[in-house]
This record gives sequence, C-alpha cells and structure tokens, in this order.
Amino acid sequence: MDTILNPYYLQIIMFIIINAILGISIYLTLATGQLSLGNAGFMSIGAYVSALLTLKAGMPLYMAVPLGGAAAAIMAAVIGIPTTRLRGIYLAIATLGFGEVIRVIILNLTITNGALGLSGIPSMGIMLSKGLTAMGLGAGIGNMSVRQLGTIATILILASILGFLVFFSLRLSTSRLGRAFAAIKADEHAAEISGIDTRYCKLLAFFMGAFVAGIAGGLAAHISFYIGPKDFAYHRAVEILLFAVLGGSNVVWGPLLGSVILTSLPEVLRFATEYREMIYGGILVAMMAFRPQGLISEETLGYWQKKFTSRPTATKPIGLPRRTTP
Amino acid sequence: MVSMKKGVIRKCVVSLLAMSMMIMIGGCSSSEKPVAQGASAGGTAKLGVVSYLTGAGAAYGESIRQGLELSRDEINAKGKVKLELIFEDSKGEKNEAINAVNKLIHKDNVVAILGPTLSGEMFAVGPIVNQEGVSIMGTSLTVEGITEIGDYVFRNSLPEFAAIPQSVKKAKEKYNLKKVAVMYSDNNDLGVSGFKIFEKALKENGIEIIAVETFADKNTDFSAQLTKIATLNPDAVLVAGLYQEGALILKKAREIGITVPIIGNNGFNSPQLIKSAGSAAEGAIVSSPWYPGKDDAKVKNFIAAYKAKYNKEPDQFAAQAYDALQIMAIAIEQSGSVTDRKKLRDTLATIKDYSGVTGKFSFDAKRNPDMDVTVLIVKDGKFTELK
Amino acid sequence: MGYRASLASYVTLLNPISHPQRLLYRIFSSTHIVTLRLGGFRLFWQQMVNGITLGSTYALIALGYTLIFGVLNIVNMAHGEIFMFGAFVGLMLATHFNVGIFGALLGAMVAGAGLGYLMERLALRPLRRRNVSELAPLISTIGVSIFLESLALRLFGPQAQSFPAVYSTQLFEIGGLKISVVQILILAISFGLMLMLRFWLSKTRLGKSIRATAENIETANLLGVDTQKIIVLTVMLASALGGGAGVLVGLAFNAIEPTMGITMGFKGLAVLILGGLGNITGAMVGGLLLGVAEILSVAYGVSSYRDAVAFGLIIVLLFLRPQGLFGSQEQQGGR
Repeated sequence: MDTILNPYYLQIIMFIIINAILGISIYLTLATGQLSLGNAGFMSIGAYVSALLTLKAGMPLYMAVPLGGAAAAIMAAVIGIPTTRLRGIYLAIATLGFGEVIRVIILNLTITNGALGLSGIPSMGIMLSKGLTAMGLGAGIGNMSVRQLGTIATILILASILGFLVFFSLRLSTSRLGRAFAAIKADEHAAEISGIDTRYCKLLAFFMGAFVAGIAGGLAAHISFYIGPKDFAYHRAVEILLFAVLGGSNVVWGPLLGSVILTSLPEVLRFATEYREMIYGGILVAMMAFRPQGLISEETLGYWQKKFTSRPTATKPIGLPRRTTP
Repeated sequence: MVSMKKGVIRKCVVSLLAMSMMIMIGGCSSSEKPVAQGASAGGTAKLGVVSYLTGAGAAYGESIRQGLELSRDEINAKGKVKLELIFEDSKGEKNEAINAVNKLIHKDNVVAILGPTLSGEMFAVGPIVNQEGVSIMGTSLTVEGITEIGDYVFRNSLPEFAAIPQSVKKAKEKYNLKKVAVMYSDNNDLGVSGFKIFEKALKENGIEIIAVETFADKNTDFSAQLTKIATLNPDAVLVAGLYQEGALILKKAREIGITVPIIGNNGFNSPQLIKSAGSAAEGAIVSSPWYPGKDDAKVKNFIAAYKAKYNKEPDQFAAQAYDALQIMAIAIEQSGSVTDRKKLRDTLATIKDYSGVTGKFSFDAKRNPDMDVTVLIVKDGKFTELK
Repeated sequence: MGYRASLASYVTLLNPISHPQRLLYRIFSSTHIVTLRLGGFRLFWQQMVNGITLGSTYALIALGYTLIFGVLNIVNMAHGEIFMFGAFVGLMLATHFNVGIFGALLGAMVAGAGLGYLMERLALRPLRRRNVSELAPLISTIGVSIFLESLALRLFGPQAQSFPAVYSTQLFEIGGLKISVVQILILAISFGLMLMLRFWLSKTRLGKSIRATAENIETANLLGVDTQKIIVLTVMLASALGGGAGVLVGLAFNAIEPTMGITMGFKGLAVLILGGLGNITGAMVGGLLLGVAEILSVAYGVSSYRDAVAFGLIIVLLFLRPQGLFGSQEQQGGR
C-alpha cells in the first residue's frame, strides 16, 4: 500500500484529475462543434482570481474557486457574444487571440505581480491536514502521516468534483439541451432550420467550458504554491486540446482517458522527454488522419456496453424487416 | 434508460478498478527494496539535478549541466567523496519541475537537489522539498524571496539585490550619471525583478529615471523603444533581461547612435553577449562574481578544463553550477554521511570561506551567498574590470 | 571607438565600402541618426516608416495564410513554422554555402514549397478524403506546427542566430527620412508579390483554375480542372511565400530562432482576420495597418501591451465587422 501513497504518484494523480477537468472544459465547447483554443486563458483567469482571493482577501477555498470560475465565464462573454454567430474558425482564432491578450494583461498588472507570479499560495493539502489535525488526527492513521492524509483528502475532493462534472456531462448529453448541442455539431444549418436557437446553445456551451476551465485553474493554483504567466501559455492550450482529441471528443470519457494517458506518459517515458513535443504534434496529425473522433467514441462505448450488459442496446438495430414509408 | 445508467455505472467501476490496478502494478514493480536514503553501493552520495534541458531556454540548463558534470568528474577523481548525479529535465515548466523533484526525492531517494533553473520553478518546488526535509540549492536563481521559502532552500547564485547596486554605484562614480533610461523584459521574472532593483538602486544614488520602456523575451525589434529613449538623451541606459535580447538591444542602440554607457543586469554576464553583439558590446557594464579574466589559478584551470571538455567558453551559469557542486561535496564530506539529509542541511548552512571559481563564498544567515562582486566592462571584446 | 551621432559616421554609413565592422549591422532604421535632433513631426514619420516596414513583413506572412484559406477553406496553423524553417534554411545556405541574399531567398522558398507539399500530402489530403468537420484540418495543422517547432529546436538549437556579415547595407534618402536596403527590399518584394499574384490569378489560366477551385471545388472538378493538382500547387506556393518571408524577416531583425514562428504566426492570423479571410488585398493592407499600429502603440503609448495590439484589434473587429475590412458579406458566418 505504501507504494501508491508515495507522494510522487499522488501528485501525478492530482495533475491527472485537474487535466481531466480541463479536458471536460474543452469537450463541452466541442460538443457544439466549436473549438476553443483559449481555455488556457480562462484557466489563468480562474487561477489568478481565486489565488488572489485566498492570498490577499483570505477567502476560504470553497468560495474562491467558484468565483474564479465565474470570472472566467464573465470574460468568456467578451469573446463569445460576437463570435458565436460566426463560423467555428472565427471562434478558434478569436479564443487564441484572447488567450494572448489575457497573458499580456496578466504580465502588466501590478496585482498579479507580472512575470514574477504569485507565490506562497495556500495549498489545499496543507489546509486539509491542518483541519485533520484539528479534528484530532494529528498523529496520522496507521503508518500514514497527517500530511499524506491531507494529500489524500485533496485527491478525494478533486475526484469528487471531477465525478460531479462527469455526471453532469452524462446527464447533459441525454437531455434536450445535449441533443441540441449534438444537432448543432452534426449540421448547424439543419439544426437552425429545425428550430434550435443555435446562437444561444453555442454561447451556453462556450460559457460552460470557460467556467469549468476557470474552476480547474483555481484548483490547480491551490495544489502547487505558485502560479506564473508561463504556466498558461499557448502550449498549454494545445495540450488541453490534445486531451480531447486523443481520448475522444464525442463522449465525456474521452478527455478523461486522454488526460490519464498524456499526464502519466511523460513520467513513464522520462527518457524520451526531448521528443515529447514532436510526439504530441505527430499524435494530433495522426488522430485527425485516421480517427478524428478520438480513441473513445460513441461506437466504442456501445460496443463495450453490449459486451458487459449483454443486452441489445439502442445502437444496434433489431433485425426485423421494416417497410420504408415514402 | 435504467439499463444504460447501470451500464454506465459499471463502466465507471471497471475503469476505476483498472486505473488503480495499473497504478498499483506500476508502483509495485518499480519500487526498489527500501534502500538507505540517498545512498547507493559503496557510500556514493546521490544528488538530484532539476534543469531546463530541452525547450526555448535550454541553453542555460545545458550550461548548468556541463558545469556540474565537470565538477563531478573532478570531485570523484579526487576520491574524498563520491557523487552520483541524477538529471531530470523540467523543460522550464512548473508542473514538470514538481514531478521531477517528487521523483528524485521519493523514488531515487537523493540526499539533496541542485537547481531548478528558473525562479518560478523554485517557488513551486521549494515548499515541497522543504516540507520533505531535503536540501535544495539553486545555482542560477537571482530574484528575491527564494531562501525565504524555507530552511532547506539554499542558493549560491548571487542575488540581483547584491550585484546591481554595485554596478550602479560604480557607474555613477565613473560617468557622473544624473538621469537614465531603463528597459526591461516584462515577461521574464529576471527582467522584472532586475528592474525593481534598478529602480531602488537608482533612487538610493539620487539618479533620475527619465524613461522606462519594456520589451519581451524573444523580441527582435527594439527600434521603437530605443528611438524614444534616444530623443530623451539619457546619461546611460539600463537593461534588465536575458543576453539574447541584451545583445540585440546593444546592437540597435549603437546603430541608432546611442553612445552612452549601457548597464545590464545579470543577464549581460555571458560570453554569448559579446559573441552576438560583436563590437556593439564594447562599453557594456555588468557586475558579477564570475570574472573569467581574473588572475586566479582556479579560474584559469576551470576555463581550460571546460574548454577542453566542451569546446566553448564557460559562462556564469556553468561557473556557478561548478562551484555549487564543490560546496555540496564539502558539506557532504564534513557531515560525515552520504544519506543523512538533515545533517547535510545543517552542515551546508555553516559553509564559510570557500574559495571557488566565482570567488570567496560563504552562506549568510539566510542561506544566501555572501560573496564579492566585480564590476565588469566589455573592452576589446572581453570582460575586464571597471576601475 | 565610439558610435557618435555625428556627421562623420553618417557619411561612413552612406559609403558602402566602410569600416568592416559596420557591415555587421543590419541597418533596419539607422534613420534615427538624423531624428535625434529633430522634432516630433519627423519622429512620427520615422516611426511610420518603421511601422510600414514591420507591417510589410506581417503582410507577407498573411499572404500565405490567405492563399491557403481561399482555396482550401482552412487556416494553416503551421504557416508560422514553415516561415521559420525558411529562415533557417536561408541561414544555413548563407553560412555554409555562401550563396548571397537571393540564393538564400530562393533556397528558402524551395524549402517552404517542399514543406508545404509534405504537409498537404501527409496531413491535409487524408482529411479531404474523409469529409470531416471544418475543425479537423485546423487541429491537424496545429499538430504540424508543434512538430515542426520542436524539430527545429532539436536541429538548430534554441539560440538566436544571425546572417553573416557579408551583406552590405546602403542608405537611401527620401524626403529627409532614411531607409535601408533591406527595408526597401522587403517593401518591394511584398508589394511586387501582391501585384504579381493579383495579375496571375486574374489573367492566367492556372490562376483562374485556382480561383475556380476556391469558389467551388465540385464545380471546378466538373469543368475539368484538376483540383488535386491545383490544391497542391496553391499550398506549395503559399508555403514558398512563407519561407521567403522568413529570410526577409531574418535579415531585417537579425535574429533567427525556432520560436519565431509562433509569434509571427499569431500576427499573421490577426492580419488574416483583419483583412478578411481569403482576401489578398486585405492581407496586404491589414498587415501594414497592424505594423503601424504596433509601432505607434510603443512610440506613444504603453510598450508593454504591444503584443496584445494585434489580438485586441481582432476582438474589436469581430464585434463590429467580422468579415474583416475587405471581406465580403458572404464570408461571414456560414449561414
């Protein structure tokens, strides 16, 4: 048991969960066929806002993080409102630009400390272990120190946030709104003609994505003591994109798988760090060429569902001859 | 609906189980037998190094690595202590650096860590390493607030707040400065902190700042900023940034006819500056403990050995890394153990009067270096002392 | 040895056979020698010259983007990296083979065309076969750009390198403002290319085939145009332009390094939207506008926000006129 609780692995698990949340943020916008390359920018807004709230205003975490997410969503309106009535490409480039503008603003505001970044951010693990000590577990449980308990508690909290988001996305995909999203993704013209308010839906999806990215940013800020503008550069946005592209952009499990693979792979392949970026680029090209829907798609899910439940699923048609009506 | 939900829940459980099994198997198969902390066979001290080895700033990380390897070979040859260096690439990214130190501490069980290259990385990993009770020594960090992170955080790189005031003072004496212009890189923590210290030092010396211009790392066009500065006629121009931009600024400034002295922060201290800027580097001023022209046997031997091994001149990063390992080796030897992390930290804190290629060195009470600084000026393509 | 803003050095600069060390400098705006003593008016025009030269480099890059968008309807996110590779190829040719300015330019354009061909073949063609969403080629070219950037870092190293000091520089005086040879070269080449392109596209058969393919690929096919060949040709042409732009920018700014593709790429994207997707005149005008705006923002405003000017402009434009300055109404939306 001691090996799992090695702080090295625990830290990686924390990164995986945060990356999974980021992957979901881009998945939500992709659900309507829009590509947002600015999620690193929204993440940075969430991170800085929540970090400043906890550092300077002493706000508790459970308030600061959602406020960070809300700030990100509000900024999303700046981009979203004009571009959601345009083609997807405009949104992609505009969000890219937006990420850059945010980066420059962060570099120049005194409150964000510019290039020096914010250090000494209260860490979730430490706050939790303090809380546990207050509850009388100062000596730890078994052979786990109270600090390790704090880290595990952090992971549990992160995982439950992730779980909630996954649950939310699953419910969304089967809801009326989710079907509207899917319709827009499949064919925007047709969706509009059949009466769906495409502009509203696209904007909503974009807001949701920005909000989730902001939350992820706030959480990320509080597990690593320090944030700086370099952590949210263009490469980060591409990384987030990679989670969804590799894992699967149609279902919420896709970004999860993508983030697990892409966060743990660099650790496993430490000897190949020099080629990592090249491999990432190659993955993007190859995935688009051979399997643009990503590793996990709806067909994959249907296939595995059938295997486990051995019940005819909705995706497989019943083999009765049907009379086609003219 | 119900069946689909059940299927989904089952999938949840299965994937969670799979994930945890994967991690367990991965963890179990790669865990070593509990080895004494920090040691491998025969009393060799295991040291971890986190360095910026690939990516845009790899030049700095490489210099550091080369200085460390040269130092390690010399120390091992001498035989008093045996060192093993484990290098991890942080790519200049905070998350990578965090994973790297975690791996070094918990998987490789090193007794101390050298690095990381960037101050931002240190702000992220310092608290973690400090908590775990492992000493970490920065060889290239010059911003404020590093050693305040904790008792286990050291650095042997002279902080800007010790070096810059010297160059400002000397320049004022020699050139009678009354009003100056300042340029700094605003997306680089070195540039920003350099600027703040310039400001303070100028104020203390009663020099007026008539213009402040910014640029960014990797910028190549400085015509607009320098044109503006030129029209204001300052007595000197101060630049805080890295040597690449510094060289381009020097070139452009001389091109458009700015003849006044140009004073740089730590970033100017590199032979690359002279190489890139050519004759435009003449008259550039910087203060540094690393003075390659020093009439000192240790310095000369180091330069010769470095040139022989790597076929290029050592810069400040390499020199400070070299000294850092020497200091670490002395501390290990004095502490008498290759595995005791706490003892190493305590011994390290007491290091005084060590004479290295970057001059006389002691740790002060805050684990910052206490060293002398030479104010240098570029003359005839070489750094010489500004007298 | 000083660098005096005196008449003496002014004269030596005008003399091409001057002090050998002078040749080291790529004189981008040595015009400032005169402006030191001049008032705000001259300074403004001097900064305008700076801006227009900077802007013409942006325009060159935008030309490549706009060509590919016009024909393939995709934004080639790897264009910045092709531009960067062109600069490096030109640099290698100049340093190792001593080919001179035009040789380097030609070599860079050939290299650009080559990269463009590879990209089309490996990354873009498989997508056309599959009939994927509009986003897939975008994502694919992002992958190509990341790949090329890290490849360049490995091949050429992260240090900035410059062209060797064999290219002499001369100054010309036009109405009291000094412009260097390289600046004139850039302006001439970019304007010349634009005019050539416009002429070519409207008058020659090949050009008309390209326009037909850009208009509607199925119809063009029906009319007998070999659209596959046209597409490959356009991509190669656009990438050749990008590679050439790389050499010119490398000469102008005298610092070539693997990450230059990203920033230039971003600026090019900004110009693309500014001028209107697929509009060549728009790309030229937009590029100049952006260059001037950036320089003026440094000269008269806050220099720290200059990198955000480009995208700040886009965001404002998207609110007001999303089809860009020259784009037509039908290019907006997708409705």
